[in-house]
Amino acid sequence: MSALIAAERLTKFYGARAAVDQLSFSAEPGRICGVLGPNGAGKSTTLRMLVGILPPSGGQVLFKGAPLRRDGQKRLGYLPEERGLYRNMTARAAITHLARLKGMHAVDARKRADALLEEHGLGPYRGKKLKTLSKGMAQKVQLLAAIAHKPDLIVFDEPFSGLDPVNQRTVEDIIRGIARDGGGVLFSTHVMEHAERICDRIVLIAHGAKAFEGAVSEALGALPRTAILETEGAYDLRAALASAGIAISEDRAPDPAHRRWRLDLDTPDMGRRVLAACVQAGAPLTLFEPARPTLHDAFVALVGDRAAPPA
Amino acid sequence: MREIFLIARRDYLAVVSAWGFWLSLCTAPLLFAVVVFAPILLSRSEPARALAIAADRPADEAAVIAAFDQADRVNARETLNAFLAAAAPGAQAEALAAFDAAANTQQGFAAARAILAARAPAAAQSMPQPQQRYVIAPAPARDIDGLRPYLLGERQIAIAGRQTPLFGAVLITRTEGGLRLAYWSANLTDPTPRRRAERALTDILRSEALAARGVDAQEAARIDALAPQVEQFDPRRAQRDGAVTMRDRAPYIVAIVMAFVLWSAVFGVANMLLTSVLEEKSNKILDTLLTSASPLQILIGKLAGTAAVSATLFGVWGLLGGSLARFAAGRAPDGLMAGIAGAALDPTLIGTFLACFVAGYLMYGALFLALGSLCETIQEAQTLLGPVIFVLIIPIILLGPAFDNPKAPFFAYASWVPPLTPFLMMVRAPAGLSPAEIAGPFVMLFIAVGFILWGAARVFHAGVVDNATAASLRNRILRRAEQRPAQP
Repeated sequence: MSALIAAERLTKFYGARAAVDQLSFSAEPGRICGVLGPNGAGKSTTLRMLVGILPPSGGQVLFKGAPLRRDGQKRLGYLPEERGLYRNMTARAAITHLARLKGMHAVDARKRADALLEEHGLGPYRGKKLKTLSKGMAQKVQLLAAIAHKPDLIVFDEPFSGLDPVNQRTVEDIIRGIARDGGGVLFSTHVMEHAERICDRIVLIAHGAKAFEGAVSEALGALPRTAILETEGAYDLRAALASAGIAISEDRAPDPAHRRWRLDLDTPDMGRRVLAACVQAGAPLTLFEPARPTLHDAFVALVGDRAAPPA
Repeated sequence: MREIFLIARRDYLAVVSAWGFWLSLCTAPLLFAVVVFAPILLSRSEPARALAIAADRPADEAAVIAAFDQADRVNARETLNAFLAAAAPGAQAEALAAFDAAANTQQGFAAARAILAARAPAAAQSMPQPQQRYVIAPAPARDIDGLRPYLLGERQIAIAGRQTPLFGAVLITRTEGGLRLAYWSANLTDPTPRRRAERALTDILRSEALAARGVDAQEAARIDALAPQVEQFDPRRAQRDGAVTMRDRAPYIVAIVMAFVLWSAVFGVANMLLTSVLEEKSNKILDTLLTSASPLQILIGKLAGTAAVSATLFGVWGLLGGSLARFAAGRAPDGLMAGIAGAALDPTLIGTFLACFVAGYLMYGALFLALGSLCETIQEAQTLLGPVIFVLIIPIILLGPAFDNPKAPFFAYASWVPPLTPFLMMVRAPAGLSPAEIAGPFVMLFIAVGFILWGAARVFHAGVVDNATAASLRNRILRRAEQRPAQP
């Protein structure tokens, strides 16, 4: 599938410091791509360069295979992290204004604004000034303004920040809807659960450099599966299993009456072998739980100590 | 162009759709009217102030009363003269002569009105009534103990069927070798009654001194009254006998009014721009705009939108002022208002005003926008704008002196300083400047405007795209300056 947008060796310097360093990745139509990284990793700078706000110090942005220009920029939607609209504008006027700036005809923009507001339960508020709406409603209006011109690719910078769980679900639904309709979605987040739930692909960045790019399953696949075991009292399971040639590590226990252990399931029959060894050793086992690695685990494993922002 | 139009349109509608805009648009002329007419209306609505005069000698009392009558007559004549100059200059001399020939002020006004009714009927209808500020009442007592209750409002006297307390009392006593004047009043801020009485008594003392030396009192008074006939001429006028009238001064009056309007408009709309960019910066709207328009398009759009707001202001005020001036001019086609209406519609003055506004607006507007783009809050902006506001205050200080002497060398030089040019050239416009005196400062001004627009666009770009602040921008400039000599 050809890329809608591609970052090619994208670099941004602030003074002598590289906020983004030789970053390359792409986003495709009908797919949701997440840009993940800790705070200060360079996610917002990357997205601002991708939508053409910030000129890169090096590299380039390609939109549908050609360098991004003003007409390509009009086919992008963008929701910045720190959101705001003209407080004295009505919801309908705000959406119409931004859609017209993206090239829509006035009549079409108004019709589209009305349709979007109606579709997302804001129909009764179309004539209300934004300053009179709740924060959640105002954020929803801005999101609708970002997609009003039916962009080929929508770029969200931390779209879930500041939203309550209900509105987070609404945003997730909108993002999935855009992808379902064939649009590309690129969003940044530092909350791994969101990315894990909705992303088809992820780009992990730390200190402005790419640490990983690929499908979520690929990121998770890079980690061994693990199992959690708990034993009663002070029983030393590590010593008991060592005699069977099985290495485990101790985790922090949930309470003083138990000890907790972590085991890498690096072969398909490892679980069965460990249980058999425990029974043979008479270990007071109270828990055996195979654990699926999370994106958070993958992030920590892939980014490691690079996740920490520079001093 | 479409982006510029849409940004300008939004900024324009954001201002003109607010009721506060129309309120301030309407209140400005009202405020102007209040400032101009309130003192006149107040002075007309206030009843005449009652004064009592008591003197040892009836002649002294009569002399002070006569001095008050004479002062009232002089004031009334000035009022009549100003009205005639503005409303009926053609009948001015004849009406004044009729006033002078009359026995008292009331009869003088009646005689002048009769002249106007024949010569300028429209002006006769709006002729003012003579206003008497002080009325001399028969003294209810001859000493302060008796007068005090009247002065304190505890007792009142009747004047023309109206009960009123005494405003003041003038007590005159003869002393060995002179006169003593004691002025009593609960009002401590109006010195006029004391001064009038003092001047009358000074005349008495002088007459008595002259008489003691053998000079006839009437002859002394006649000599005192001698005064030259004063007329002012303009050498640029073709007619050698054409004296300068109020109508000739109309373009200068219009020019200074335009200069003040220009200053307040430039300052007002530049503030509007600042507020607008601060709103967009603090609300993070600029990032959204930047995905559709370049920083330069945003800058131009904002300047255009606020310029349209100014055009609306000028349009409404111009229509209102023009209609009023034409109405007033229609009532007295040869009067001052006609002169003002003519000057206000003079293409030279209007052209100068527009050129000065465009240049001043672009210069200060772009500067305010650029500085606003480096700030997040109004407090930050105020700190940065301090020096700009200081520069903007200088023209206000210079406008008055420039009005008095528009061709003074200082103002000729100061007109070349771009931040001052729009305001000084506006006020100097009617002074008959040579083409070089006009073109030079304007060329310099528009070069400066171009330079400021270029610099403002760069600062605005740094402010909105890189989120630069004043400090970071200063550091960046210093760093570049340090790096430059190191380059081969």
